[in-house]
Amino acid sequence: MAVSADQLPAGLEACQCFTPFGEADATVAALLAGRRALQLTPVLGREGGDLVPLALLGPMDETLPPRWLPAVHQLAAQIPAGNWGSAREPVVVTSSNFGVGSMYAFTRDRDARHLAHGTPFATVELLRRELGWGEHVTVFSHACVTAHLGLAHAARLVHAGVADRVLVFSFDFASPFVAGGFHSLKILNSGLPAPYARRETGSIGLGDGAAFAVLRRDAGPFRLAAHALHNEMFHFTGNQPDGGGFAACIGAMAGVIGGRRVWIKGHGTGTLEAGRLEAEGFARHFPGAPLVSWKGSLGHTLGSCGLVELALAVAALRGGKIPGTVGGLAPSFTDAVALEPFASAGFDAALLASNAFGGAHAAMLLTFN
Amino acid sequence: MNFPVMTERFIHHVRVELPAATEAAAEARARLGDKFPRTALRRMTHLGMLLGSTLDGVALTPEDAVVYASSYAETRALEDFLTSFPAASPLLFQTSIHPGGVQQVLIGRQQPVARLWPLAGRTRLVEQALLTALLEPAARVVLLGGEERGSWLLEQGYASDRAFAFALVLTHEAAGAVGRVAFAAQAGTPDQPCPALAAWAEALAAKQPLTWHAAGGEWSIRWS
Repeated sequence: MAVSADQLPAGLEACQCFTPFGEADATVAALLAGRRALQLTPVLGREGGDLVPLALLGPMDETLPPRWLPAVHQLAAQIPAGNWGSAREPVVVTSSNFGVGSMYAFTRDRDARHLAHGTPFATVELLRRELGWGEHVTVFSHACVTAHLGLAHAARLVHAGVADRVLVFSFDFASPFVAGGFHSLKILNSGLPAPYARRETGSIGLGDGAAFAVLRRDAGPFRLAAHALHNEMFHFTGNQPDGGGFAACIGAMAGVIGGRRVWIKGHGTGTLEAGRLEAEGFARHFPGAPLVSWKGSLGHTLGSCGLVELALAVAALRGGKIPGTVGGLAPSFTDAVALEPFASAGFDAALLASNAFGGAHAAMLLTFN
Repeated sequence: MNFPVMTERFIHHVRVELPAATEAAAEARARLGDKFPRTALRRMTHLGMLLGSTLDGVALTPEDAVVYASSYAETRALEDFLTSFPAASPLLFQTSIHPGGVQQVLIGRQQPVARLWPLAGRTRLVEQALLTALLEPAARVVLLGGEERGSWLLEQGYASDRAFAFALVLTHEAAGAVGRVAFAAQAGTPDQPCPALAAWAEALAAKQPLTWHAAGGEWSIRWS
């Protein structure tokens, strides 16, 4: 199956994230030190339940106004000035949770004020009011590849000339809704995630995270050079057993890599089957390229993971050292899995990948001067 | 990629599902059941069945791109999942996640696609979905969308009051087309209201031409 990659290079004018460790530089420092933000926490917040690994910016119980709003304001303060939400400087919001924690809070408390920021568009309306954006705000939601879609769409917008620059803004905050959902699938359990580890039981963690990037067509020191997307449509929560979906997306990126020496930030949630298929796919198409995942520390920030981890990759490259797979364990699925940090010198690109329900695959190529 | 002053795609398939506002999922299952594999039908939602019906007879390929627009998406699965706590239902969790509606159809068909662009806005959702489709390099783009009628979320004003779905197949081929969607750049043009998703579906059903100005140009849909 031939999957083609968009090769529409877009410069990153700005890129930042916010995790329980703080902004990108602080988060990278914590990852380099091997720290985990994940802590065993009751899956239903104040209502208790099994202990599961969550990396939170505060108690998971939803508040009025929503608990994520202060963090979003703190992050948004670093967005470069612009006429955001205008036709020439549109915003793309990407998330898989939006304010769904507020819907859960409504079912628990019966306080209708929670619903005012529960649906995706109501959440985005709140963001628009709070951050002063105009009406040109496109909203994507495609589970855990959502941020990749926003970035790829932004590159298309600036290359088509319909936008001068685009703000991609992503945020996902855990709630009993999503923690309970993954817990019901038994993949969010009492175990801490060990991405790409060959072990008996898989487990993931969930994390709070938000990030933004400003893309423009002009070259900058950091560029998103290519994007690839593919949708298997094999199963809601599983992948083609032969790894064909991973191979389609990864193979498309292998076709645009040129002679670059790359390191890879994979999806690496801590699941066994997807982790194995992903690691084997990378090893086949990018032999020798080190593979890392940071979700063993930060948890899975779901629809925002692509953008949160892009900001971390940029910060790591600025610092010259790439965090290893925090929480990873030997033996790993392949020899390429890097458990320890390594120097970025000698690499001239990073491949950043995410996967999602429905067998959705996404990858982007980050290049730098 | 350079977006020309005028960009367009031709419509080669249009189908709209506008059931009675009172239609329940069970009624839709009886009405549309023969369009779906029985194993897939059991877990399909009202919205999933309506979307599948709009694509009935349309053979997709792995090279096609899909643009999917819904403000509320899988409302009933979301409502039911929320009320399943504290014994959260794994099936309802999976089904409640956007873009579950279109995934039900494509997974039922075991139909991979190149790119899937699920949009979830409201105010300018239709033109944003159109722009996403016009920017797609795929030779064929399926633009579809819809909603299902909510229950307790509707009582609170946070769900659609009716179910509907639509699908368009868009290509660059003028021959045999039944219509055309286009965007013509017109610098300095003030924004006008964008049709709401339900109004858009009704216009498609009636093959009613539409024109509005927004995002620096004129949007239009015209019929042959």
